[in-house]
Amino acid sequence: MRTKPILLTLLTLLVCSSLMFAGTVSGKVTYTGTPAKQKPIDMGKEPSCAKQHATPVTGETVVTGPDNALENVVVYVSSGAPDDGQVPSQAVTFEQKGCQYIPHVLVMHTNQELKIVNSDQTSHNIHPLAKVNREWNKSQPPGTAPIVDKYDKPEFISVKCNVHPWMHGEFAVLSTNHYDVSKGGGDFKLPNLPPGKYTITAWHEDYGTQTADVTITGNETKDVNFTFKAKAY
Amino acid sequence: MRMWAQSHLCQKPQRATSMLAVAFALVCLILGACQPASAFPAFARKYGLRCSACHESWPMLNYFGQKFKDNGYQLMNDRDAPIWQNPGYWPVTFRFTPFWSRENVNKVAVDTGSGQQSLTTTGFNYGGLDILSGGTLEKNISVLFVPSSDETGKFHFESANVRFDNLLGSPWLNVKVGKFELDSFVSEKRTLTLSANGAAYQLFHYIPVGDGNIFGQLGDNQLGVEWMGHSFNDRTRLSVAVFNSVDGSPDLPYGQNSYSVFIAGSQAFSAGKLGVQRIGGYAMIGEAATTFALQGGAPLSGSGVGNKDFSRVGFEGLFYLGPKLDFQVFTQHGSDSAWFGQGYGDFIDNPGGLCPNINPTGPCNNTGQGLPAGARRPTWNGAFVETHLVWSPQLTVFQRSEWVRMSQQSTPGTPSDLGNLDNYVVGYRYNPFMTSRAGFAFHNEFSWFRERGGAPDGTDLSSSSLMLGFDFAF
Amino acid sequence: MRVFKSVYGCAGVLSLALAAGVAVWGQDAPDTGPKARLALKATESHIGNLTGHAADGKTDYRRYCAGCHGDYGDANGENAVWLDPKPRDFTIATFKCRSTLTGTLPTDEDLYNSIGRGFTNSNMPIWNTLSPQQRANLVAYIKIFSPRWDKEKAGEPIKIPAETAVTLDSIAHGKALFTKLECWKCHGSHGEGDGPSASTLTDSKDNPIRPYNFAAGKDDSRFKCGNSNQDIYKIFMTGVDGTPMPSFADVIQPNDAWDLVHFLRTLQINRHGKENEVLSAAHGVIPPYVDKNPAPAAPENKAPGSGQ
Repeated sequence: MRTKPILLTLLTLLVCSSLMFAGTVSGKVTYTGTPAKQKPIDMGKEPSCAKQHATPVTGETVVTGPDNALENVVVYVSSGAPDDGQVPSQAVTFEQKGCQYIPHVLVMHTNQELKIVNSDQTSHNIHPLAKVNREWNKSQPPGTAPIVDKYDKPEFISVKCNVHPWMHGEFAVLSTNHYDVSKGGGDFKLPNLPPGKYTITAWHEDYGTQTADVTITGNETKDVNFTFKAKAY
Repeated sequence: MRMWAQSHLCQKPQRATSMLAVAFALVCLILGACQPASAFPAFARKYGLRCSACHESWPMLNYFGQKFKDNGYQLMNDRDAPIWQNPGYWPVTFRFTPFWSRENVNKVAVDTGSGQQSLTTTGFNYGGLDILSGGTLEKNISVLFVPSSDETGKFHFESANVRFDNLLGSPWLNVKVGKFELDSFVSEKRTLTLSANGAAYQLFHYIPVGDGNIFGQLGDNQLGVEWMGHSFNDRTRLSVAVFNSVDGSPDLPYGQNSYSVFIAGSQAFSAGKLGVQRIGGYAMIGEAATTFALQGGAPLSGSGVGNKDFSRVGFEGLFYLGPKLDFQVFTQHGSDSAWFGQGYGDFIDNPGGLCPNINPTGPCNNTGQGLPAGARRPTWNGAFVETHLVWSPQLTVFQRSEWVRMSQQSTPGTPSDLGNLDNYVVGYRYNPFMTSRAGFAFHNEFSWFRERGGAPDGTDLSSSSLMLGFDFAF
Repeated sequence: MRVFKSVYGCAGVLSLALAAGVAVWGQDAPDTGPKARLALKATESHIGNLTGHAADGKTDYRRYCAGCHGDYGDANGENAVWLDPKPRDFTIATFKCRSTLTGTLPTDEDLYNSIGRGFTNSNMPIWNTLSPQQRANLVAYIKIFSPRWDKEKAGEPIKIPAETAVTLDSIAHGKALFTKLECWKCHGSHGEGDGPSASTLTDSKDNPIRPYNFAAGKDDSRFKCGNSNQDIYKIFMTGVDGTPMPSFADVIQPNDAWDLVHFLRTLQINRHGKENEVLSAAHGVIPPYVDKNPAPAAPENKAPGSGQ
């Protein structure tokens, strides 16, 4: 019975080596120029939502941070890392709260379970404007069960609520688990990349996409920064 | 006169000297009647539908176009009223047809030699200009207004009517008032044929030789009122029109209280893969004046009395053999009162001696002389078959064969075949493009016509035309 | 005369040559180019006993449909720019009138019925003049424009239970649902299409679109997807895909849906029907709905307006 320990050792080595030689791509997303001022939202027609916001909220199409940081940019490996086909088993949740979508940009893997929750005291309709995937449109009155769905093709899908025209979000359906969404500082991080050549794509709902090619040779961290040109309107 | 233009052929002779010459003039009237046709790109622009949506090949309607027309130029989607239109929308269409043609007549009366000769001529020409304006004024109220000119630029009103549709919300209650085309689904206003010998359906204008009844022409628009009803999908259509016996002329030039009635009905049915077939029938029954008061020797407008009867009845059908081939069939049995048969009737249009049997030197008026002995009702039968090979929505090849046969001459002893007609037309029509903005067709057609005993010397008159032209409407 | 004759001869030959040339030229545009594959698919449709074939629908599509829907089904016909609402884009395969759940493909019969019914308040005519076979062929033909038809099956038609009795109670419950589900936000409290969100609505291609006005029209008024009570039931349960009208299938119980149908009929104030008769018998007053089996405290939404 000596085979088993040997196998185990080999396995351990393999796992360790892949971890040892796993690279990381990280960086920062910024913008140049002057982004359009986000318009304040008047929720007067929906008092149950308006009262949840002490200060008036603005649109979230372009959200910026200090030092020209750009938030809500989906950065993902668009080629080089073959999709391992592993669909995360836990669902992603898209919440309607205070007549806003949380998160504003929701990334999910194809066929990953998507849960849509209405935490408001008003009816919403969820209308993801899919073009490649199925376009559907469902009403979700307060207190009803979450809507559960999934998308089987990669696509960036705008989501709107027709009743509350200011509500606008994005689904990013990807065929990879190597993704991140830039946060307050514009930072992102794509860890656990085995050695290889990759194309990293950064997508912003208004400013479009940018790509960068990266080669990971070993256990290293490559810096990749993306700079979007802001649209003035 | 070497140049014997079509317009001359069509002019009414002011001083006809013989019955035959008059008959010939009538034939000319028939042949030269340049039919204003109702293809309406203005509707295509209004609704954004291509010509081909409503026309099998414009101007001939298909079933969908027929339904649109029967609904009072409405799609019935609550977007028909002008309030839904762009204010810049202009509901006006123009149609014009420049062409080159070769016309031939075998025997024409001349002053020299044997008194007749054959005549052939060629040249460029154009059909008259039609202006068509029409459409809805409000939901279920619509108008049609068609000022039409001949090639000299002289206008007349071919159509001028207002219609009220879907009264009480029922497709069975539609009323039309004014001057309008009689409701035969085989429409001469929408015929695909355009040449001098082929433009008209002979049966829509047939008048026996020497007959004075100009009132029984199905092809002429009439002044009156029409009730029309149809099923929601227009498969069943019925109509009854009552109109003056004036051949569409305004101002009551003929008789007092003389009216005609036109009744038409048809039923469409689906025949599987062959397509939707339609069969129907029509009857035109009327009476018109034969006797006029004279004023300074001339007939007094509106004084006509002595109404005599006439009738035209027949079958019509449109049969499809698949999506590309159809046959349009039309038959007629015509019968006129013996009074018309002897030349009474069309007194004002043709005040010259129309009645050689009654009054060889004076006007054709019933001043007490009555009918000559043995005068009978002239009767005849006729039919035509028109075939359309719709190769694609852009290209249509067509033929029509038409025959009219006298079954009884009004005057005993008249050759039994006098006035029998044969007419054959063949051609094609090609639309180089197909949009909802304008109609443009290249048109090539040949037609041949023969009238038994129609020549000046009493032998057969035959004529032919070859036409190459462009037909456009916008 | 000899000269003339030869001229005529030339003309004859010329016309014959033109006839021949035109005959070739006049055929449908050749199936070449990047989108040629579209025309080559042998799609079928099945409606009852009818089988439609895409190849047989092509000529009719060009004749009747392409002016708006476009030669390639992409809603880019020469007239599309002038139309409001815009024609359907068959390349996306999102259809308004379905018996199937939102996001699914409609059945062949749904498409067949849409062609024959037309769309009220739009430029889509009532094509009931086309024979059943022609309509079936067109259903097959419009499927060639989207790859979805290759990969997906049509959705299952929703089950519609037998219609419940039209009673004042049913209408009252329908009104409560209309309020609770916030139908009024777009359609207005009197169903006149003037709710607070009405003016902001856009379809899936960002074109402005109006909510249905129930109060307009009389006995002949139609809805987008038919005019029977079953059709109304289907409309709100399956949603009108491509428009702001969502599906309520997840949130309305099948029998409750009939109550909503009955209430919606009373919004058609100029229509003669059972629902309005029941309502006028009650002097036009809809009593407040009392839930006999109240569900555990769901948050109540107070609407500023109430139907009728």
